[in-house]
Amino acid sequence: MGEIILKPKVAFKVPIIAETITPDNFAGKSIKEIEDLEAWEGNRKTTLGELFEITGAPGETPKDTKIIIEGDVKKVKKIGCKMTDGEIIIKGSVGMYLGEEMKGGKITVEGDADSWIGTRMKGGQIEVKGNAGDYIGAPYRGDTKGMKKGTIIIHGNAGNEVGCWMRGGTIIVKGNTGLFPGIHMKKGTILIEGDCAGRCGAMMKGGKIAVLGYVPSILPSFTFEEIKKSFKIKGEKIKGPFYVFTGDLNENGAGRLHVSVEKNKHLQFYEKFLE
Amino acid sequence: MKTISNVVCPFCGSLCDDIEVDVENGQVTKVRRGCAISIAKFTKYGEERIYKPRIDGKEASLEEAIDKAVEILANAKYPILYGWSCTSTEAINVGIEIAELIGGVMDNTASVCHGPTIIGEQDAGISTCTLGQVKHRADLIIYWGCNPAHAHPRHMARYSAASKGKFVKGRNERKVIVVDVRKTRTAKAADIFIQVEPNSDYELLTALRWAVKNGELEQPKIAGIPAEKIEEIADMLISCRFGALFFGLGLTMSAGKARNIEAAVSLVRELNNYTKFVMMPMRGHFNVTGANEVMAWITGYPFAVDFSRGYPFYNPGDTTVVDILTRGDCDAALIVASDPVSGFPTEAVRNLAKIPVITIDPHETPTTMISKVVIPTALVGIEAEGSAYRMDAVPLRLKKLVDPPPNILSDEEVLKMILKKLKERVG
Repeated sequence: MGEIILKPKVAFKVPIIAETITPDNFAGKSIKEIEDLEAWEGNRKTTLGELFEITGAPGETPKDTKIIIEGDVKKVKKIGCKMTDGEIIIKGSVGMYLGEEMKGGKITVEGDADSWIGTRMKGGQIEVKGNAGDYIGAPYRGDTKGMKKGTIIIHGNAGNEVGCWMRGGTIIVKGNTGLFPGIHMKKGTILIEGDCAGRCGAMMKGGKIAVLGYVPSILPSFTFEEIKKSFKIKGEKIKGPFYVFTGDLNENGAGRLHVSVEKNKHLQFYEKFLE
Repeated sequence: MKTISNVVCPFCGSLCDDIEVDVENGQVTKVRRGCAISIAKFTKYGEERIYKPRIDGKEASLEEAIDKAVEILANAKYPILYGWSCTSTEAINVGIEIAELIGGVMDNTASVCHGPTIIGEQDAGISTCTLGQVKHRADLIIYWGCNPAHAHPRHMARYSAASKGKFVKGRNERKVIVVDVRKTRTAKAADIFIQVEPNSDYELLTALRWAVKNGELEQPKIAGIPAEKIEEIADMLISCRFGALFFGLGLTMSAGKARNIEAAVSLVRELNNYTKFVMMPMRGHFNVTGANEVMAWITGYPFAVDFSRGYPFYNPGDTTVVDILTRGDCDAALIVASDPVSGFPTEAVRNLAKIPVITIDPHETPTTMISKVVIPTALVGIEAEGSAYRMDAVPLRLKKLVDPPPNILSDEEVLKMILKKLKERVG
């Protein structure tokens, strides 16, 4: 497998847009050709060679190409845009729109990631070891087509609107999330292992959400169904028990919301509907 | 002495157009029909004025100040252009041309007030009307998270709760509901006051919509309001003939922001299955609606437009000025008719103070104090003409009542001079 290493030449001040950093663009190219690939520094057109010190050699195909980014790329947006295969490892924190419209391959971030990870993602996997921003797997504002396939795993906490307008795929957040996970969701699965700030599944039409931690309240447009022993995600069983709700009824939705019984004693009043 | 009538007040988004002023020796001496804020604006506009352009705190000529501004803007890699809500539509127009030419980010103050309204509307659409329709037809009015008694003092009497319309004759023919976290002066004048728990507006709007759809509320209390009370209010909303929901920053800036508006829009849409219902944001600055209108008709987006790659790109959260400043992404700023230093979060202001700032404003503000270049201008609606959009997007012409101080030009003229020099420099 060919490995190629990118190191920022200076600490960036203005936003950098580098949608050319993908295994697809690097595969089979010489270092010189990679250095000449286009990027934007604020309102100036520039090249990757101007911004990064580039060493190593890419593989012949995207599948054989591994890109390692060393250093802080917090201001660099759109890394891995439309990538179909191969791997990107970011040994630091990364900017917005990571893996936008990604179709395959794998991106790993060792630090934190900013908002709009996996915007309109269609396949592949994104793993963030640190925290992530808002709108994971969501489309741009005004668009109604979110993530369709693939997996996003966040080991830390995530912001608001995880999986907004999601149409498929899986999102796992091992930490806590902000408001509105799964808002407008149509299909797919979201697992939140920590606490959620609330309003889970607002306006959802379908799909599944599970919260293993604390949820302050359930939206009034959700109806209580049953208590279930476990929740299945990617073939794996997660032990409950869970309160199960259906909604969002305001949108004539049939999404399923699972909330831990043990961590949510304040929702006990729903049990009277079981009789 | 000269009396000028039908003057439009350049303060809040109500743009009251029935003001009468007396002018004597180049000064406004008397204001009739204006509210307390309007009278203060017309009679005290001469205080805290700037009379000379400045560079680095030292007096300079207008040409020198404009040259310096052009140099800063032309060299910037990611400049922001912010403000625009207290100036004329014509000046905003020139501002957009500058932003496109230098590849900057054009944002207006909607970004920190009704920006979420715009995002919510874009997601769900909006059923709205002009204020005239509310005045003549609305028999049920809701004020949600706004306090017009203080912020838009003549709104209730001229356009909404207490206005005398053709079909609905006055306050006693209307029902007024106020939803707020505390009992404001507006709430005291309401028939029903709903004290919602802070940051629970979304839950209440969702519950109301579900109740309007005749759904059963499983929780005994939602957002601090008993379920029976919510059902009662839902019945009231359905049974009105023409309802209007006015909302303010209590809804746009509390937890949920744009999603609160989306929920409100969805409630109003649901109500239109049973009766006629409209909604309207209570816009603050007199031409903030104009800033949105002009930007939308030229760029396709109403605020937070990034021209850095030559074409307009819009994604609030990324391209909004508060976020850009908080991240410290920009390297120059042009502030027109606004005072971000007083209103922005600390981290954003700290980063603003680190970059060269050009401020175009009639008054001395904390923002002019941190600016590298300050260019004083005339006040639109008092010393200069121009047009502005009322909160219901009706354009009105602002009048010139008195002459500006010597050698002071309007925002539009100063911006045109900057644009001309920028064109010569960057093509």
